[in-house]
Amino acid sequence: MTGKGPRPGAWLLAAVVVLLVAPHVIPTFFVMLFIEIAIVALFATSFNLLMGFGGMVSFGHAAYFALGAYSAALLVKKVGAPMLLALAAGPVVAAAGALLFGLFIVRLTATYFAMLSLAFAQIVFTVIFKWTAFTGGDNGLLNIWPAAFLKSPPAYYYFTVTLVSASLWALHAVGDSPFGYALKAVRDNPRRARFIGVNVRRHQLVAFVISGFFSGLAGGLFAFFNGSVFPDFAYFNKSFEPLIVVLLGGVQSFFGPLAGAVGFKILETFIARQWPVYWPLVLGTVLIGVIVLLPQGFVGLLERRPWRSRPASAK
Amino acid sequence: MEIVTHFFPWITNGPLIAVQVMSGLSVGMFLFLVSVGMSLIFGVTRIVNLAHGSLYMVGAYLMVTLVDVLPDNALRFWIALLVAPIGVALLGGLIEVLLLRRIYRREPLMQLIVTFGLILIIGTLVLIVWGPDNKSVSRPDVLAGSVRIFGQPFPSYYLLVLALAPTMMVALWFIFYRTRWGMLIRAATVDREMLGALGVDVSTLYTQVFAFGSWLAGLAGALAAPTIAVALGMDGDVLINAFVVVVIGGLGSFAGSLISSLLVGELQSFGILIFPAISIVLLFALMAVVLIVRPWGLLGRPEDGH
Amino acid sequence: MAVTTGKREVVLEIRALKKHFGGVQAVNGVDLTVPRADMRAVIGPNGAGKTTLFNLITGDIQHDSGVVYFSGNEISGLPPDQVCRRGIGRTFQITSVFRRLTVLENVQTALLTHHRRHYNVFARAARLYRDEAFALLEQVGLSAQAPKPSGILSHGDQRRLELAVALASEPHLLMLDEPTAGMAPRERHALMALVARIAADTGLTVLFTEHDMDVVFAAARSISVMHQGSVIAEGEPLDVRGNSEVQRVYLGQSKDR
Repeated sequence: MTGKGPRPGAWLLAAVVVLLVAPHVIPTFFVMLFIEIAIVALFATSFNLLMGFGGMVSFGHAAYFALGAYSAALLVKKVGAPMLLALAAGPVVAAAGALLFGLFIVRLTATYFAMLSLAFAQIVFTVIFKWTAFTGGDNGLLNIWPAAFLKSPPAYYYFTVTLVSASLWALHAVGDSPFGYALKAVRDNPRRARFIGVNVRRHQLVAFVISGFFSGLAGGLFAFFNGSVFPDFAYFNKSFEPLIVVLLGGVQSFFGPLAGAVGFKILETFIARQWPVYWPLVLGTVLIGVIVLLPQGFVGLLERRPWRSRPASAK
Repeated sequence: MEIVTHFFPWITNGPLIAVQVMSGLSVGMFLFLVSVGMSLIFGVTRIVNLAHGSLYMVGAYLMVTLVDVLPDNALRFWIALLVAPIGVALLGGLIEVLLLRRIYRREPLMQLIVTFGLILIIGTLVLIVWGPDNKSVSRPDVLAGSVRIFGQPFPSYYLLVLALAPTMMVALWFIFYRTRWGMLIRAATVDREMLGALGVDVSTLYTQVFAFGSWLAGLAGALAAPTIAVALGMDGDVLINAFVVVVIGGLGSFAGSLISSLLVGELQSFGILIFPAISIVLLFALMAVVLIVRPWGLLGRPEDGH
Repeated sequence: MAVTTGKREVVLEIRALKKHFGGVQAVNGVDLTVPRADMRAVIGPNGAGKTTLFNLITGDIQHDSGVVYFSGNEISGLPPDQVCRRGIGRTFQITSVFRRLTVLENVQTALLTHHRRHYNVFARAARLYRDEAFALLEQVGLSAQAPKPSGILSHGDQRRLELAVALASEPHLLMLDEPTAGMAPRERHALMALVARIAADTGLTVLFTEHDMDVVFAAARSISVMHQGSVIAEGEPLDVRGNSEVQRVYLGQSKDR
C-alpha cells in the first residue's frame, strides 16, 4: 500500500478547508452525518490494518467497538468520570480485550480465525446483554453526554474530526513503519517472514491489539455522540459494518475505508432511516452481491493492479 | 471440604446431580444436532456455514407458526415437529442452489463472508415475517408436566429429547454407514473430485447435504422451541455454542461433535447452578484451553480449516 | 564456541536425526557434518527426505529424535525465527518472496528484522537500510529492479531476490532448497556461480539440495547422497560419482531435471 493520490498535498489542503468550514455552512443534519462518517471511517481503517495489512479478516470487530463504547459509558454512569477520561479509557479497555482474545486466535488460519472472532464478539454481546445489573442489559445506558464545551454539534464535530484525523495519521504511520513492513511481509508469506526472524504470532497479536485500540476509540466517540450505548454495539450487524465498508471502498488503499465509509453512510441514511427493518437485509445482500460478482477473491481484492505473474511454483 | 460444600451446596446431593446431568444431556443434544449439521456441511462442501444458527432459529419460528395454525388436537405438536425441519431443509436447499453453488470455487474467506451475510438476511426475514415480539410454543399436553427422577422433579419434555437422542444417533449412523447415499457422503468428505470422476452427480449431492444439514438444525430449533423464548437473537446464542462445540470437537468429526456437545451441555447445566453468567466464562475458558493444547479440536484433523 | 574436526571448524553437525509421518520414516537416522566454508550438495531421488531434512534443521517441523548442532550449539527443536537469528539463512523450494512488497522493500524488511527494529511503529521504514539493501541487490544483480513489486519479477529474478533476502540476515550458514528449480540450464550455473562467489567473499557455508547433476558437479565442493531417509554416501564429487551404491540408487533416474 504505497498509494496516495496524485499531488497529495493538494487533496489534503482541500479536505482540510472543507472540513474546517463545513459546520458553518451546512445544515446540522449533515454535520452529524460527517461525525458519523468519521467514526465509521476510523472503525473501518483500524479493521483494515488487520485485513489489508495483516491479511487477517476479523468477523467480530464489533467486540472492540462495544468494549470502547461501554467502558466509556460505564465510567461516566458509575463513577461520574469526566468525558475525556472516560473516552481515553475506551481504547485501552478495547486493546486489553483484543490482547486477551488475540492470544487465542491469532495462531489460527482464516476459517477458525473468522469463526472465533465472531464467537468472541457474541460472547461480549451476551455478557453485556445478560449482566443487566452492571451494563443495563437490553435497556442500555443512557445520558452519556459529552463535556459541556463539546455538546454542540459543531464542537463535537471538530473534536471528532481532529481525533479521527490524528488516529488515521497514526494508523498510516504504522503502515509505513518497520512494524508495518514486517506485518505486510507476514501477510504475504508467513513462512518466509519467520525465516527472516519475525515471530509471526507475536507480530500479528500486536497488530490485533493496535486495531482493537482504534476500534475502541471509535466506539467511545460514538457513545458520546449517540448519548447512549446498547448491547447491539457488539452484535453481528456492527461487525459486518467495517467489512462491507472496506470491501466497498477498497482493501488495498489506505483511504479506501474512508471512501467506503462515506458511501456506506449515505446508503444507510437513505435506506436505514426510511426502512430500518430492511437495512440489515440490504447490507447482507449488497455484500453477497459484491462477493459473488467479484471473481478475484481476497488476494485479487488486494492486488487490483494486474500483476498476473504467477510462476508455476508460487503459492 | 467445608468450603466446597459452602460454595457448591448441591455437590453432595446425588439426585440433584443426576437430574442436572440429564438436563445437561438434553441441552447437549440440541447442540449436537446443530453442530453435526454444520460439520456435515463442512465435511462435504468445505464451507463453514456461519448462518447455521439462523437456520436453527427458523426451525423454532416455524414451529411457532405451525402450532398456531394447525387445529388444536393431540397430534398438533408432533405434526409441527415433523414439518418444521422440512421447511428449514427446503430453505437450506434453496440457499444452496441459488447462492452457495456460485461460491464453491471461491476462497474460504469469501465463502465465510457470504454465509455471514446470510445471517443478516435470514435474521431480517424472520423479523419481517414474525415481528419483533418474543414467541413461545407450549409443550404437548402429554409432556407438559414433570416426572420424579430420584425424587427430584425433571421436566417430562426433556425426556423426549433424551429419548430422541439415541434414536437420532442410530438413525444418523445408519444413514452414513448403511445406505448408499451415506456412503457417497463419506466418500465426498474424503475425495470430492474422485467421486465426480466416478460419475456421481456431486452437485445434487451437495444440495442434498446442505438440505440435510439444515434439516438437522431446523429439528434442533423445533425441538428447543418449547424450552426457550423464541426470539430474535436466538441465532447468536446458539452460534457461540455451536462454534465452541465445533472448535473443541473438531470440524468435520461426528464423534467429536457428540463428545463436545455433551461436554458443553453439561457445562451449561452445571454452570447455571453456580452462577448464571458463569457458563459463558467457562465456555470461553474451555475453548481457550483446547485452542492452546490442540488447535484443531479434540478429534479433528489438523488440515481441517486449521 | 567453535568445534573443530580435523582442520576445519564444524558449522553444522547432525546426529541420528529421525522423523516419521504417519507410517513413513521420512528421515531415518541422518548423520551429517558440514565444515566451515564448504559448499555441500545434498542429493538423492525424490522422496529421499532432503526437504524434510532441511525443514527439520530450520525448525519448520519438529524432529522425533536426534540432535542438530549449529556452531557447537544445539538448535534442534528451535522455531524458525530463532534458528534464523542464530545465523542460518534459507531459501525455499517454492519461491518465497513478499509478493506485494517491492524488491527493495523485501530486502529492507529482512534487514529491519535482522536488526530487531521490526516492532518500531514510528520510523519511516522506506528510509531505513536503503544503502545496505541496494548493496545486497547489487550483489545478486537486481538493483535495477528495486522499485518494482516483487510479484511481477521473472522466476529467475525472484530466486535471486530470495537469495538477497536470505543474505540480509547475515547468516553463517546458507541453506538453499532446490535453488535452481524452474530455471534454464544457463541460468542455473549462473546462479550457483553467484552463490559460490558470495560465499567465497564472505566465508559463508552453503548447504543446498539439487536435482540437476551438472550443477551439482560444477558447484559443489562435497556431496552427501540421501536415500530413503538416510545418508548413504558422502565425499568429494568424483568419489561420489564413482560410488557403486550411488549409481545403483540413481539407476533409471534421469540425470537432468
